[in-house]
Amino acid sequence: MSPDVETRLHELESLTRSYARYSRSAGGMSSVLGGVLCLIAYLGGPLLPATPLTRTVLIAIPAVWLLAKGWMMRHYYQRMGHVEEWETPLERRVHWFCVAVTLLVAVAITASIGMAARQHAWSLPVGMLGYLALVWLLVLAAWRWLRSPLDFIVGTFLFCQAALISAGGFYPLIGTTHTHQAMLMSLVALMFPLVALAMIARGIAEHRQFRELRQRLEHLQGALAGES
Amino acid sequence: MSTPSRLGEVMALDRLVHEPARLLILAVLSGAKEVEFGFLEQMSGLSKGNLSSHMSKLEAGGLIEVRKSFRGKRPLTELCITLAGRRALAAYRQQLAMVMQELPDPAASPKRR
Repeated sequence: MSPDVETRLHELESLTRSYARYSRSAGGMSSVLGGVLCLIAYLGGPLLPATPLTRTVLIAIPAVWLLAKGWMMRHYYQRMGHVEEWETPLERRVHWFCVAVTLLVAVAITASIGMAARQHAWSLPVGMLGYLALVWLLVLAAWRWLRSPLDFIVGTFLFCQAALISAGGFYPLIGTTHTHQAMLMSLVALMFPLVALAMIARGIAEHRQFRELRQRLEHLQGALAGES
Repeated sequence: MSTPSRLGEVMALDRLVHEPARLLILAVLSGAKEVEFGFLEQMSGLSKGNLSSHMSKLEAGGLIEVRKSFRGKRPLTELCITLAGRRALAAYRQQLAMVMQELPDPAASPKRR
């Protein structure tokens, strides 16, 4: 093929592919925000005083992040129009596996809370109802928005922390607990701030890549305007 | 290669894909699962009418799918390339590469006295 035509076709395809990444696998500054909010939720739960205001803020964090994520995608990263990224079969399988896990956990939690509530004439404290609602909202979020592994881990933590805070608890910080079970939980929870840091680093790199992409798109539009 | 067979290869090029605007649409669509009309409009530099006309031809040929809906009160047009479209684009690229390979290099042709 004429090298000029081939280069142009390849360039168009590659630009579209790079732009499409910001619909699903790349978050840019929304990943940075997710990482920062994850750190705030991780430290804020055990360290901030449990006033109604702090509890409300911590419970609202997952919703704030998902809304900000959608807003940034539509109004900043994909403001030229929505372009959906291709999903590889492996990515699709991983995504459905994650959704299935959250669904299974939600069913198990609902069943165990339901069994406990049955013994108390079906009365549940408001905090527990909030807990259940957040557990089920996580299933919806995992299906609709948490479509990359890092997004899923951070999103899951934000929802779980919000659910625990709603029920009057939180994930303990490492070194602040003495019981065997709480120490184990704090060790597991340590994974989340580490993932948050990785997500911040990834978000910054993606944002830089987007700025380069924007320049390439502007260059292409300039060339098209010159031709017409 | 003889001139008639070369001509045959040129004639065998898919005319539906060969048109520059349609080739551009297919190239953009091949990079994503689904593309909004606005993005394609900006990437192609074509007018709305011109783009719609080419889209209709590609859709009639079964190379792309066009979905029309509403986002709130605003009409939304989304496009995606079909499997047939992907195959047609790949075949076109291959055919054109073969034709170009067979053409004599103008820089290497003997100079006239």
